[in-house]
Amino acid sequence: MKKFFAIIFSTLLFFNTQANAAVDADKAENFVKSVTQTGIEELINTDVSAAEKKERFTKLFNKDLDLDTIGKNVLGRYWKTATPQQRKEFIDVYRKLNIQTWSERFDDFKGKHFEFIGTEKSNSADQIFVVTQVPMEEGKPASVKWRVKDANGDLRIVDIIIENVSLTLTARSEYTSYIQKSPNGIDGLIKDLKAKLK
Amino acid sequence: MKMNWKKFLTLTTILTVLFAAPVYAEDDDSSVLESYNRAMFNFNSAADYYVIKPAAKGYRAITTEFIRERVHNFFGNLKEPASMINHTLQGNIVDSGKSLGRFAINSTLGLLGTFDVAGGWGLKNNATGFDKTLAAWCVPDGPFIVLPILGPSTPRATVGLAADTTADPLYWAGYYAHFGNDLEKYSFYYGLSALGFVSLREEKIEFIDKLTENSVDVYSTIKSAYIQNRLKIGSCASKDTQTADASYDFDFEDDE
Repeated sequence: MKKFFAIIFSTLLFFNTQANAAVDADKAENFVKSVTQTGIEELINTDVSAAEKKERFTKLFNKDLDLDTIGKNVLGRYWKTATPQQRKEFIDVYRKLNIQTWSERFDDFKGKHFEFIGTEKSNSADQIFVVTQVPMEEGKPASVKWRVKDANGDLRIVDIIIENVSLTLTARSEYTSYIQKSPNGIDGLIKDLKAKLK
Repeated sequence: MKMNWKKFLTLTTILTVLFAAPVYAEDDDSSVLESYNRAMFNFNSAADYYVIKPAAKGYRAITTEFIRERVHNFFGNLKEPASMINHTLQGNIVDSGKSLGRFAINSTLGLLGTFDVAGGWGLKNNATGFDKTLAAWCVPDGPFIVLPILGPSTPRATVGLAADTTADPLYWAGYYAHFGNDLEKYSFYYGLSALGFVSLREEKIEFIDKLTENSVDVYSTIKSAYIQNRLKIGSCASKDTQTADASYDFDFEDDE
C-alpha cells in the first residue's frame, strides 16, 4: 500500500511539474506585445528629452529583462568560478553598458513596428521564443525573436535574437574570449567594461 | 586581370577543394586560423581607420541623403543579374523572373537603377547569390575567415562573392566598352567598385562606431555575430562546420 501511494504521489508530482514547465504561449506573446508597445509609445514616438528617454528606458529595462539570468548566461563557464561580489559587479556594469548602448539607438527604430508571428519552443522547459518581424524599407523583414522565461508566472525577457544573432551568445563569445586572454580574469573584464561607461 | 571562365572554374574548384571539402574542427580558437584571422582583422581595422572610414565620412560630407540613396540603388540594381541566375540555380523560377523584371524596369524607367520603380509596383527586392545556391546544393560553409579589406567571410561565402562578381554588369562593361586604354578601363571598373564599397561603409558608420566603442574584443563579437547570422541561410550539408553553440537555443543552464 505504501508503494502504491508512492507511485500515485510521484505520478502526480511528475504531471504537475510537466504542466508547470511549459510556458503559456499566449501569455508570453502578450507580454512581449506589451513590452514593445510601451517601448514604441514611450521611447520612439514621443518628443521628450534624451535624458527623460534614458530614464524611461532604464525603468523598462530593469522591469522586463531578467538581468540575473542574462548575466549568468553571458559569463558562461566563468559564472561558476566567479565570487558573489564579481557576479554582482558584472551584472551591474553589463546592465549599465546595455542601457547606454541602446539609449543612443532609439532613432533607428522610428517609423517601424513589430509583427507577431507566433511562438517557438525552447530547449529549456521554462522558456519560450516569441517570434516577431520588423518590415524594412527594402528586402525581407528583419526577424526578431524574444526568449522569454517564466519564473513561477513572472515573465521576463532573457535574450533577444535579431536576424539569428543572439545578444547573449554574442556577448558570451566576446567576454569569454576576453577572460581567456586577460591576465586579470573576470576582474580585468569588469574593470575594462566600467571604463566604457560614460 | 582578364579572367576567363576556365580560369574562374579552376579557381573555384581549388578554393572549394582547399576549404570546403575537409571536415573542420568544431572550434578554431587558438588555431593557426585564429591567429591569421586576428592579424588580418587588425590590418583591416587599420585600413578602415586611416582610409576607408575617412573616405566614407568624406562621401557623406559631399553628398545629400537623396544622392546617397540613388548611389545605393544603382549598386543594388547591379546585383539583380546575379540574383536572377542564382534563383534559377536554386530552382525558384518565379523569383528569377522577378529579379529579371526588376532589372529591366529599374535599369530603364528607374534611370540606371537609381530609382526603385519596380519596388513601388510590388516587385520587391529579393536578392540572392551563389553562396545561397551552394548552400542549397549542400556545400558546407567552412570555417570563419577574415579576407583582406572585404572582412568577415567563409570559404563558401568567398566563392559565392567571386562568382557573383562575374554576373555584375560593371564587370562586363569593363571588358566590352570601348576605352582608350587600359588605364581608363581599370579606372572605370575599380573606381566604380570603390564608390560602391565606400557607399556601403557610409551606411554603417554609426553601427560600427557603437560596436567598437562598447566591445572589449571586437574580433570575437563580430566573429560570433557573423557565424550566427550565417546559420540563418541553412544548408543541407551533413556536417555543420560552425561551432555547435552558434545555435541560439542551446540550453544555457546545462552549459559546462
